[in-house]
Amino acid sequence: MSLPLAATVGPSAYWYLTRSTGTMAMVLLTLSVVLGVIDVQRYSSTRLPRFIVDGMHRSVSLLAVVFLVVHIVTAALDSFASIPLIDAVVPFAGSYRPLWLGLGAASFDLVIAVVITSLARKRLGYRAWRFTHWFAYASWPLALLHGLGTGSDVKTTWMIAISGGCIAAVLFSVCIRVASGWPGQVGLRTAAAGVAVCFAGGVALWLPGGPLGAGWAKRSGTPTSLLRPAAVRSPR
Amino acid sequence: MSVSAPPATLPRLLTGMTSSGAMTLDHHFEIHGALPALARRRRDSALALVNELERSGLRGRGGAAFPTAVKVTAVAAARGRAVVVANGCEGEPASHKDRLLLERLPHLVIDGALLVAHAVDAGEVVIAVDEQATRAARATDKALRERSDLSRGAPRVRLVTVPSGYVSGQEAAIVNFLNGGPAKPTGGPTPIFERGVKGRPTLMNNVETLAHVALIARHGAAWFRALGAYGEPGSTLVTLGGAVAQPGVFEIEMGASIASLVDAAGGPTAQLRAFMVGGYAGTWVPADIGYQLPLSPDELREFGASLGAGIVFALPSTACPVAELAFVARWLSGQSAGQCGPCVYGLEAIAAALEQVRVGVGGEGTLAQIRRWAALASGRGACAHPDGVARFITSGTEVFAEELVDHAHRGPCAGCVQRHLLPTPVAPTAQRAT
Repeated sequence: MSLPLAATVGPSAYWYLTRSTGTMAMVLLTLSVVLGVIDVQRYSSTRLPRFIVDGMHRSVSLLAVVFLVVHIVTAALDSFASIPLIDAVVPFAGSYRPLWLGLGAASFDLVIAVVITSLARKRLGYRAWRFTHWFAYASWPLALLHGLGTGSDVKTTWMIAISGGCIAAVLFSVCIRVASGWPGQVGLRTAAAGVAVCFAGGVALWLPGGPLGAGWAKRSGTPTSLLRPAAVRSPR
Repeated sequence: MSVSAPPATLPRLLTGMTSSGAMTLDHHFEIHGALPALARRRRDSALALVNELERSGLRGRGGAAFPTAVKVTAVAAARGRAVVVANGCEGEPASHKDRLLLERLPHLVIDGALLVAHAVDAGEVVIAVDEQATRAARATDKALRERSDLSRGAPRVRLVTVPSGYVSGQEAAIVNFLNGGPAKPTGGPTPIFERGVKGRPTLMNNVETLAHVALIARHGAAWFRALGAYGEPGSTLVTLGGAVAQPGVFEIEMGASIASLVDAAGGPTAQLRAFMVGGYAGTWVPADIGYQLPLSPDELREFGASLGAGIVFALPSTACPVAELAFVARWLSGQSAGQCGPCVYGLEAIAAALEQVRVGVGGEGTLAQIRRWAALASGRGACAHPDGVARFITSGTEVFAEELVDHAHRGPCAGCVQRHLLPTPVAPTAQRAT
C-alpha cells in the first residue's frame, strides 16, 4: 500500500517517473514484438503496407529504449532505494531485490544489443544481425518478470490488465510465428510454442502466491532497512 | 520539545513490550526516556504541552476520535479543580488493546495521565478498569506503587474497577459510577468537562490516547506526525480477530490498509466473507472492498464506517453471518442499560426478529421490519447504544442481504450449527440453555 507512505515520506517525482516509464517501456516492447512478427510474416494491406509496419517496428523499438533510459536514470536518482546505475547494466549485483532488478538489467542489455546491431545492420552482415535479433524473444519475458517482480503497481487492477494484455499479445504473436515458419522443423516449432504457453501459464500460477500474495516486498529481497511495517503485532 | 526523536517506524507504543508481565518503571524510562521536566510555573509547561498536543493532531482512541487538545483546553478553561479519568474499561468484547496496555505497559498510561493532569491542573487522577480485567488492574496497581513521583503532592492517583458491561465503559456511565451511582450512562444537561466527577470539570481520555500523550510529550508533535496521514497522524492500536493466522493487538500506521493488517497477522486462514470494522457499534464491509480500506477515522467515514476503538474482525465464508448477527443482536439487546423504551423494547424486538429470520419463520417481511425498527430505535436513547446497534444491524442486513433472504425462505443453514465466532464476554442465557 503506497498510501501511508505517500503521505509521510513524500515520494519523489522520480518514483512516479520510474513507474510510468517502466510501464510504457513494457507496452512499447510488447508492441515492438508484435510489429516485428507482423513484419516478418510479410503481412500487408492497403491500410497497413509493409513499409509502415517496418517503420513502426523501428520507431517503437527506439522509443522503448528512450523510455528505458528515463526509467533507469530516474530509478537511480530516486533516493528511497539506492540503486547505482551500474545495477542497471550488470545483472544480479545490487542489494535491492537483486533477482528482480537483475532480470530488468539483463533484459535491458539484450534490448541494447538488439538495437545496436539493428542500427549497424549494414556493416554487420545479415547472419550476425539475425542471430542477435533472436535476443528480442528473451528480453521480453525478462522485462515482464522484472516488472511483475518489483513493480510498485503490480497489485492494481489496471496493471494486471496491462500485464495480461501484453502476455496475450506476445503469446498470440509467437504462436502465429511458429505456426507459419520453418516447415521442416516441426519438433523445434512445437517446443517453442510449448515454452511460450508454459511461460504464460507459469506466470499465471506464480502471481497469486508471488507478487499478488502477502509479504512480497520482504520475500522479493527488499533490504530490511527499507521495509517499514504498516502493522506490528504485540508479543503473545 | 524533543531533543532527539526516535526514527519514524513502528512499533511506538509497543516498543519493548514482552510476551508476559508488565514493563517495570526502570525499563520503561530506559526505553522511552524520563518524563520531560515540567516548568516551575505550571502554566508555562501546561501551555507548552497543550500546544504540542494541538500540533500533533492527536485524536482520541476510545472511538469518537475527538481532538485531544480541544478536550484538554476545555477542561483547563472550566471553573474549579479538575479530575482526570483514564478510561480503560473497554466494553467492546472484540477489543483487547486497552487491557493489553494496562497489563503490559501501564507506565505509558500513567505518564500520559500525569501529563494531562498537569496540563489541566487536576487534583485527582482516576484510572478506571473493567472489574473482569483482573490482570490489567493488578499490573496497574503494581505500577502505581513503583512510581516514586506520585508520593509528593498532587495529583492523587487511584485505581477504580468498574462493573463490566457494554455500555459501562461510556464516559457518562463511568462518571455516574464514580459519583456513587450505577455504571449507567445517564446524560446530564451539562457536559462533563464542566461538571463531571464530584461536580468538577472532568477530563476523560481513553488509556491508549494517554499513552500517545506520553510519547508526544517526550518526542514532540513532528515526530508523532512522521507516521500516518495528514489529517490523521500517528500510529494506533487495532485488535484483529477472526479467521487470521495470528489474531491479536497490532500497532498500525494510521491509514494502513486492512490488507496490510491481515498480512501482519500471517494472512487469512480461510476465505473471508466480510470484515466487521469498529466493533459492535461499527459496520460490516464485504471482504473484497474491506481489504483495500485504509484504517483511519476520516477515510472510513467516507465509506460510512468508523474505526471505533480500533477493531477489525475477519468473518470467514464458512461462518453463517445470519447466525452471527442474530447472536450479537441478542447479546447487545441484553446489554441495554434499561433506561429508555426504544432501546429496551426496540433492540429486543430486533434481536427476536433476526432469530425468526434465521430459522426461516419470518419471511422477507420480517427482514424489512428489522431495517425499519433499526431506523426507529436510532437516536432515541439517553446514550448512543441503540444508534450503535442499529448501525451494526443495518450494515449487516446490507452486506449479508443474500444470506438473510436465503434464511428467510429456507431456514437454518449448515453454518448455523457452528460455534459463534464473534466474541462476547459471557454467553447469553438463550445460548447456554442448549
